[in-house]
Amino acid sequence: MQASRARLFKEYKEVQREKVADPDIQLACDDTNIFKWTALIKGPSETPYEGGVFQLAFAVPEQYPLQPPQVRFLTKIFHPNVHFKTGEICLDILKNAWSPAWTLQSVCRAIIALMAHPEPDSPLNCDSGNLLRSGDIRGFHSMARMYTRLAAMPKKG
Amino acid sequence: MAEYASSDDEERYQYYDDDDDDDDDVDVDGGDGGDEIVSLRSHGCRPAFKIITKESLMAAQEEDLRMVMDVLSLKEHVARTLLIHYRWDAEKLLEVLVEEGKEKLYADVGVTMMEHGKHIMSRFSSVVMCNICIEEVSANEMTTMDCGHFFCNTCWTEHFIVKINDGQSRRIRCMAHQCNAICDEEIVRNLVSARDLNLAVKFDRFLLESYIEDNRKIKWCPSVPHCGNAIRMDDPQFEVECSCGLQFCFSCSSEAHSPCSCQMWEMWAKKCQDESETVNWISVHTKPCPKCRKLVEKNGGCNLVYCICGQTFCWLCGGATGSDHTWTSIAGHSCGRFKDNEKVKVDRAKRETYLVRYLHYYNRYKAHKDSFKLESKLKETMQAKISNLEDKQCICKDFSWVTNGLSRLFRSRQIISYSYPFAYYMFGDLIENDLTKKEKEIKKNLFEDQQQQLEANIEKLSLYIEKPFDQFSNDEFMELRMKIITQSVVVDNLCSKLYECIENELLGSISGETHIIAPYKSKGVEKALELSVCRDMETSNTERNSG
Repeated sequence: MQASRARLFKEYKEVQREKVADPDIQLACDDTNIFKWTALIKGPSETPYEGGVFQLAFAVPEQYPLQPPQVRFLTKIFHPNVHFKTGEICLDILKNAWSPAWTLQSVCRAIIALMAHPEPDSPLNCDSGNLLRSGDIRGFHSMARMYTRLAAMPKKG
Repeated sequence: MAEYASSDDEERYQYYDDDDDDDDDVDVDGGDGGDEIVSLRSHGCRPAFKIITKESLMAAQEEDLRMVMDVLSLKEHVARTLLIHYRWDAEKLLEVLVEEGKEKLYADVGVTMMEHGKHIMSRFSSVVMCNICIEEVSANEMTTMDCGHFFCNTCWTEHFIVKINDGQSRRIRCMAHQCNAICDEEIVRNLVSARDLNLAVKFDRFLLESYIEDNRKIKWCPSVPHCGNAIRMDDPQFEVECSCGLQFCFSCSSEAHSPCSCQMWEMWAKKCQDESETVNWISVHTKPCPKCRKLVEKNGGCNLVYCICGQTFCWLCGGATGSDHTWTSIAGHSCGRFKDNEKVKVDRAKRETYLVRYLHYYNRYKAHKDSFKLESKLKETMQAKISNLEDKQCICKDFSWVTNGLSRLFRSRQIISYSYPFAYYMFGDLIENDLTKKEKEIKKNLFEDQQQQLEANIEKLSLYIEKPFDQFSNDEFMELRMKIITQSVVVDNLCSKLYECIENELLGSISGETHIIAPYKSKGVEKALELSVCRDMETSNTERNSG
C-alpha cells in the first residue's frame, strides 16, 4: 500500500513539472484522496472530438502500479469503445495488457490515441461500432461531432 | 478481462497438498518415492496409461525437459518455458524449430537469449532510477531480466507476488510495456522466497504441476477427495482406471460413460444435475472456454473475452476468435443472426414437451445406477461366502468363477445404465442425424431389442450371483457354478453385440460433431500402471544436489 502511495506522489510531482510540456492533458489529484484523480483531455485534431474537452475519472487500486487504474469518461462521448451511459473504456492496456511501467499520464495519452483510432470490433457502444463497421464514416462523424458539441464544448453566449 | 468462476484456481490444489508444506524440500519426497517405484513393477509391458504420483512427477517431467535442453543446449528454466508454451508437446516444439527457426521460436515464447543485461547495468552509475516506483535505487538492488529490462528488486517482488496469487505462475512476463519476455524462474524464486517462503514453494509447485495442467497427454485423476495422481496417456485410449480405483473418461475427465459419447454425457450430466442456485448462477454468468473448457466469467469490457489459458472467444456465441482487437481478426465473426435465437427457442419448447420422454430414460438409467451401488456391496458378502466355503472343504477349490461373474455383472451394469442416456440422445431430436423417421424407427427397435436382451440377462446373472451358494448341496452348487459361468459369457457377448450395433449402425449416422465412444473391453477398463522412473529419478536427484 505504501508503494502505491509513494509512486502516486512521484507521479504528482512529475505532473506538476510536465504541465507545460503536454498542454493536451491536465491531470489533477483529489485534494483529500491520492487514489482519486481526474483529468481533462483535449479531443485530438482531425477527429470529430476536436475542440472538445473531456473529463476522465481515475480510481487507483491499492496494488497500483502492478494493477491498472480504473478509468472512465465523465463527459458523454460517442465512441465505439466507450460505454455511452457509464463512460467505461474498453482498452487493452487498462485490462490484460497493463504494464506497471505505465503512468496515469501515459494512460491519458493512450486514451487520446484511442479517440483518434477507434476499434469498432470490440464495441461497448454498439450503435457507434455498427456505423463504423458498416462503413458509414460520415454518419459516425456527425453523431460523434454532435455529442462533442453538446457535452464537451463550452456553451456559447 | 475474464476470471475463473471458481474463485482461485491455484488455491484449489492447496488442500490436498498440505502435507507437503511441512517439508518444503521437494527432493525429499522425490527420493522416497523413487524407492517405492523401483520395487513396484517390472518394466516388461508397455501399458497405454501411466500413473504419475506426486513423487514421480519430477522424474516424468525431467524426460521431456532433458530432451529439449539437449537439442537446443539450453538451461533448464528456458527449456521449461518453451515446453510450457507448447503445452509440453515436444514434437510440436521441434517442428516449429525446424520450420521457423530458433529466433522465431524464442520470440514467440518470450525467451530472450541476450547476454547484454550486465553491460547495460554497468554503464550506469551506482544509483539507478527504477521506472516503476520512480525511486533512485542503488545498482546492486536492481535486477535485470534476460530481455535487458531492469527494475528495483522491491518492484519485481511485488510484481511476482501479484502474478503468482493471480494464478499466472507459468507466464510471468517482464514489467516493461509490451515486453513479451518470460521472467527467469530462478530470479522469481530468489526474490519471492526472500519475502514470503510459502509463496515461493507455491510457485515451485505450480511450475511442477504445469507438466500436468498444460499437458495434452496428462490429466489429473478426477477423484474426490483427490488421490494425488495424474494419468499420462501414451497411446490414444479412452477410459482408464486410476490406482485409486476410479474409472474415468480420459477425454472429458468425468466418470467412465461408454457407450455414451462425451458430448452426450456432458449434456446428460448437466440435465440430471439439480437446478440449484449455483448451477443457475454458472449458466447465467459464465461460459466455457472453447479451448480448455474452464468456465469463464465476464467481468466487464467488450464481448471479446480472454480465458486464463490464453484463448480468446466471443461472449455472445462462445466461439473461439483471434486474440486481437482488430478489424481483420474478428471480421466475419457474426454470431448475432436470428437463426441461433430461433434454434434456442425451439430447443426449449422441445425440452418441455419431451419431459416425459426424458423421465423414461432417466428412471431406467437411475434404476441401473442404484442396482450397481447395491451390488457393489456384494463384493464383501461374496468374500465372506468364499471363505465360508473354504472352511467347509468344498468340492471346488477354485472360486475365480464367482469373482469373474461379479466383475462381469459390474461392467455390464455400467454399460446398460449408460446405454439409456445414449438412447435418449441418439433417438431424440437434440442431436442431428441423417436418418429419416422410418430408418430411425427401425434402428431404434434394433437397438432396443439388444438393450432389452442384455438387460434381462444382467438381471438373471445378478439373481444367480446373489444366491446363498455357500449353503448349497454339492449338486446344487455345481449347477449354479455352471449357470454363472455360462451366464457371464452370455452377458459378455450381448455387451459386445450392443457395442457393435452402436458403432456400426448408429454412430455413423450422426452428422455434425463426431461422437467417439470408448470401445467395449471384455476385461473392463484398462488399469493405469505406475510410471517406472527409477533411473531418471537418480539422475534428477544428483542433478539437483550438484546444482
